[in-house]
Amino acid sequence: MSKQIHLWAFLQGIGFYPTGWMHERARPEGVFSMDYYSYVARLAEKGRFDAIVFGDQLQSRGAGGRTPERMAMPTLDPMTLLTAMAAVTDHVGLVATISTTFNTPEMLAERFGTMERITGGRAGWNIVTSVHPDTAGNFGLDEMPPKETRYSNAADVVDKACELWAAMDRAGPHLNQGRPVLVQAGQSPAGREFAARTAEAIFCPAPSIEAGIDFRNDMRSRISGVGRNPDGTRVMPGLSCVLGGTEAEARANHKAIMDMASVELAIEYLSESLCCDLTSFDPNAKLPVEAILEKTLLPTADVGRMVTPAGEKGTSLRDFAMNFMLNPRGHNVFIGTPEQMADMMIEWRDAGACDGFTLQPSYMPGGLEDFVEGVIPILQQKGRYRTEYPGTTLRSTLGLPAYERTEA
Amino acid sequence: MTRPFILSAAIADPELAVPETAATYLAAADEAGLDLLLFGEAGGRPFDAQVLVAWAAPRSQRVGLVATVPASNAHPFHVARALSAVDFLSGGRTGWSVIPEGAAEGTAEDMVGAARSLWDGWGSDTLILDKASGRYLDASKVKASNYEGPFFKVTGPVNAMRPLLGQPVLVLDDAAPIAIKDADIALVSEATADAGATKSLLKVTLDTKVEDVAALFADGKIEGVHMSLSDPLAELPKLAALFAEQVAANPGGEGDLRARLGLPLASTASNQPDGAKIPEIA
Repeated sequence: MSKQIHLWAFLQGIGFYPTGWMHERARPEGVFSMDYYSYVARLAEKGRFDAIVFGDQLQSRGAGGRTPERMAMPTLDPMTLLTAMAAVTDHVGLVATISTTFNTPEMLAERFGTMERITGGRAGWNIVTSVHPDTAGNFGLDEMPPKETRYSNAADVVDKACELWAAMDRAGPHLNQGRPVLVQAGQSPAGREFAARTAEAIFCPAPSIEAGIDFRNDMRSRISGVGRNPDGTRVMPGLSCVLGGTEAEARANHKAIMDMASVELAIEYLSESLCCDLTSFDPNAKLPVEAILEKTLLPTADVGRMVTPAGEKGTSLRDFAMNFMLNPRGHNVFIGTPEQMADMMIEWRDAGACDGFTLQPSYMPGGLEDFVEGVIPILQQKGRYRTEYPGTTLRSTLGLPAYERTEA
Repeated sequence: MTRPFILSAAIADPELAVPETAATYLAAADEAGLDLLLFGEAGGRPFDAQVLVAWAAPRSQRVGLVATVPASNAHPFHVARALSAVDFLSGGRTGWSVIPEGAAEGTAEDMVGAARSLWDGWGSDTLILDKASGRYLDASKVKASNYEGPFFKVTGPVNAMRPLLGQPVLVLDDAAPIAIKDADIALVSEATADAGATKSLLKVTLDTKVEDVAALFADGKIEGVHMSLSDPLAELPKLAALFAEQVAANPGGEGDLRARLGLPLASTASNQPDGAKIPEIA
C-alpha cells in the first residue's frame, strides 16, 4: 500500500493570515458561537482529518501595553472549544495546547483525564512550556523561568501526569486511550531532545521539502537514539494554502488576501511579533532598529537577527512590516489548484519530508471548505488518504501502537 | 424583577464524565425543566467540571451549566478563560461554584476576586468586527486587571472575552462555605437572611414537604430548591413532579440565564453593567 498521508487541521482563531478575518468568506463573529464550531468540527470530520489542533497563549496581545485594534483577538480557551467540538462529532481527534510551566501536574492531569473520558478517547496534548514574557505576570511571576528550567520541569510534569492518568484509568471510568496522545512542537535542540523522548506526534514548520526531510531525519535519529521506535511518532509540518480552479485564479485569490492588508495592521502584527509597540513610529521612516532593540521583551540577539539587516539597508518601517506580515516565515504556503496541491503533498510524503501535514487554512471557514471539497477527494482517489476512520480513538486514527497498561 | 421558582440539582456521579451517560443525564435535566445543574459538589468531584460543562454546552438546550471549581486545583487565569468560552458556546448559561477543597483559607475567595477582575478587564462593547474599516476591537475598552490578592497575582488582560453573562452565575454551597457576600445563588440547608447571595435555594430531598417549601417561597425566604442527586435518571422526573405546581405558577423570564432567573450582575462585583455584545455582520 502506498504511504498514507495524515492530516491535522490547525484552526486557531480566524485563519493563517492576519488579514484573514476581513475576507468575505470569513466569519469573525462565528468564533464566539457554538454554531460555528459545530460546523467546523463536522467539516473536519467530513474531511476525515486525524485531529483538530488549537495552539494557545497565556497572555493577551498587548505589546508595550497597547492592545492591538486590527488583529482578530481574543480567542477563546482551546480546551473548552475542543471538548465542545467533540460533543458534536464521533471520530475526529482533538489536540489541546497546555503549558507545563503554568499548570501543576494535578491540574492538567485532571483536565486532560476528564477530556479523554468525555471524548471517548480522542484527546491529544500539545505540550508547551510557554515562552512569551507577558505570561509571567498572569501567574504572579516577575519574569519567565529560564528555558533550561522550563524544559526540565516539563519532563517532570509529563512523567507525573502519566502516573496520574494511569491511576485514573485503574480507578475508572476507563480511559479509552490510557492517556492523551502526546504532541510536541519544539524546534531548538532542547525542544527536539524533549520531543524525541516524549512525542507521539510533532508539529513543526518546514518551508521546503528539503527542510522537511532534514527535520524528519533528525527527529527519527534522535528518537532511535533514546531507544524509541521512530515509526511511533508522526511528523506533521505546517501547511497553508490558497486554492483556485486554475493557477491564475489561485494567484488572484492570494492577491485578494494580500490586498486586504493595511499598513496599520502590519505594524500591529510586527509589534506583537517583536514584543514592542511600533505604532507610534512614522511608517515612512527607516525601521527604528535601535528603539526596537531597546524596548523589546524578547532576547535582543534573536530580534537583532530579524531587524538589523533591514536596518542597514534603510528599509522603511512600512515596507518591513508589510513584507513581514505577507510573507510568513517558516511554514509552507501552497498557491495553486487542488490537483497541484495533492501532487505536492504526495511528493513530500514519498520523499520522507513528513508523515502528513498540519493544515492552516488562510481564512475560516472558507479556506477549510476549499481544501475539504477540493483536495481531499483527489488524495482519496489516488489511494493516499483514508475514506473512513479506522476506529474511534485518536491513537488508532494516527496508527500508533496501542498504549501499554502497567500495574500500579 | 422576575421571581421564578428555581429548580437546581447536583450530580457527582463519576459516570457524568462518560459521554453516553452524560447525554442521558443532560436530556433528563432539560426534560425536568431544571434551571441549574451543578457538575460535582463539595465532597463529590470525581472529574474536572470545567471540561464537562464545555461538552454539555451543545448537548443541552436550557439548563444552566454550573462547574464546581476547587480552589486547591485550579488557577483563576485558566478558570476565567474556560468559563468565558463555555458561556459563549452555551449562549449565556454558565455558572460556577468555587469550593475550598483543602485549599488554605481565603484561596477560594481570592480565586473569585481574581477571575472577576479578569472578566471585567473587557468592556461589554469591545468588539467592532468591521471588515470594511479593518477595526476588530476598541482597545480603549480593554484594561489590565493588576489584581493582587493573598494567593493570586494576575496582571491581565486575560486573552478571553468578557462572558455573555458578564460574569457566570456564582453559586455558594453552605456545605463548603466561602466568605463571599455578593454571589448570585446560595444553596442553604435552612433559610437564612444572611446567605451571601441574591437568591437562596433550599436543599431538599424527595421526602421534603412541598407545603413547607411553598410557604418559605411565599414569604420570600427562599427562591427555589436544590437537590443532590444519587440516581439522576430516576430522581429528576420526581423532583420536577414534586414542585411542578410552584414552577408553573412562578415562571422565569426570557433570555440568558441571568435574565431568566432574575439575577442582575452584582454591582459590587463588576465595573460593567452588561455582558459582552457580539456585533452582527451583514
